[in-house]
Amino acid sequence: MSTLSSAIAASASGLDAQRARMEVAVSNLANAESTRTANGEPYRRREIVLEAIPANGEVSGDVQASGVRASAVFEDQADFRRRYEPSHPDADANGFVAMPNVDVPEEMVDMLGAARAYQANLTAIGLIRDTIQKALELGK
Amino acid sequence: MSEITNDAAVMSALGRALTRAVQRQAVSAGNLANLDTPGYRTKEVQFSEALDGQIRAMTVAVTDPRHLGAEGGADPRRTQEASGLALRRDGNNVQIDRELLSLSKATGDFSAAETVLAAKFRLVRYAINEGR
Repeated sequence: MSTLSSAIAASASGLDAQRARMEVAVSNLANAESTRTANGEPYRRREIVLEAIPANGEVSGDVQASGVRASAVFEDQADFRRRYEPSHPDADANGFVAMPNVDVPEEMVDMLGAARAYQANLTAIGLIRDTIQKALELGK
Repeated sequence: MSEITNDAAVMSALGRALTRAVQRQAVSAGNLANLDTPGYRTKEVQFSEALDGQIRAMTVAVTDPRHLGAEGGADPRRTQEASGLALRRDGNNVQIDRELLSLSKATGDFSAAETVLAAKFRLVRYAINEGR
């Protein structure tokens, strides 16, 4: 793979990873108040793990960009929040309802970070595309 | 005529400038992709090594059999970790502004070298067409 196409591939993998991160944050926000899921527990906050893909086939004289991928999504095992709400159908004997362990401001910050990183990768793709365009003009 | 005004030498120098710009772009793109990867360290193209490689690749006069010729040892690893950057708590030290700046700079350098190279090609074509 040429250096430029490896750069585009790396940026595209960045877009993909940031979109996945955004989706996780969005589903956490959407389920910030969900007290029921398929396994009977309240919703557990999900977290994504990003992992660098080592530049493959770095032959001498050729620099390859290293991409990124979302390697795993796991559930946050932190305790559920407890809220006093005796009228809630899921309340326990003492009137407390277990609420998802989602922290809304934290998710918002994560989402902003993902949006900014997405934008940076998009800018990178634009610049590399300009370069390829320029290189093609040599043949004119 | 001195060695450096040789057309082929100028063109190959411009070609190397293009290659280097593209390498810098690729490394910055990789850094940007890993903006939020825990433990990832900012990479950069090894400049001095790259320069040494280019100098080795140039024609070297061999006046004695014991002289080293143009065949230099190929350097397999062309990127290194950038030093002097503040590490974040997740072990990552990619700075978005630094990477975007170096990406734009590399694009500008590429553009400059490309413009000169295109002008050079135009001159060659002019000569081929006998000035028509």
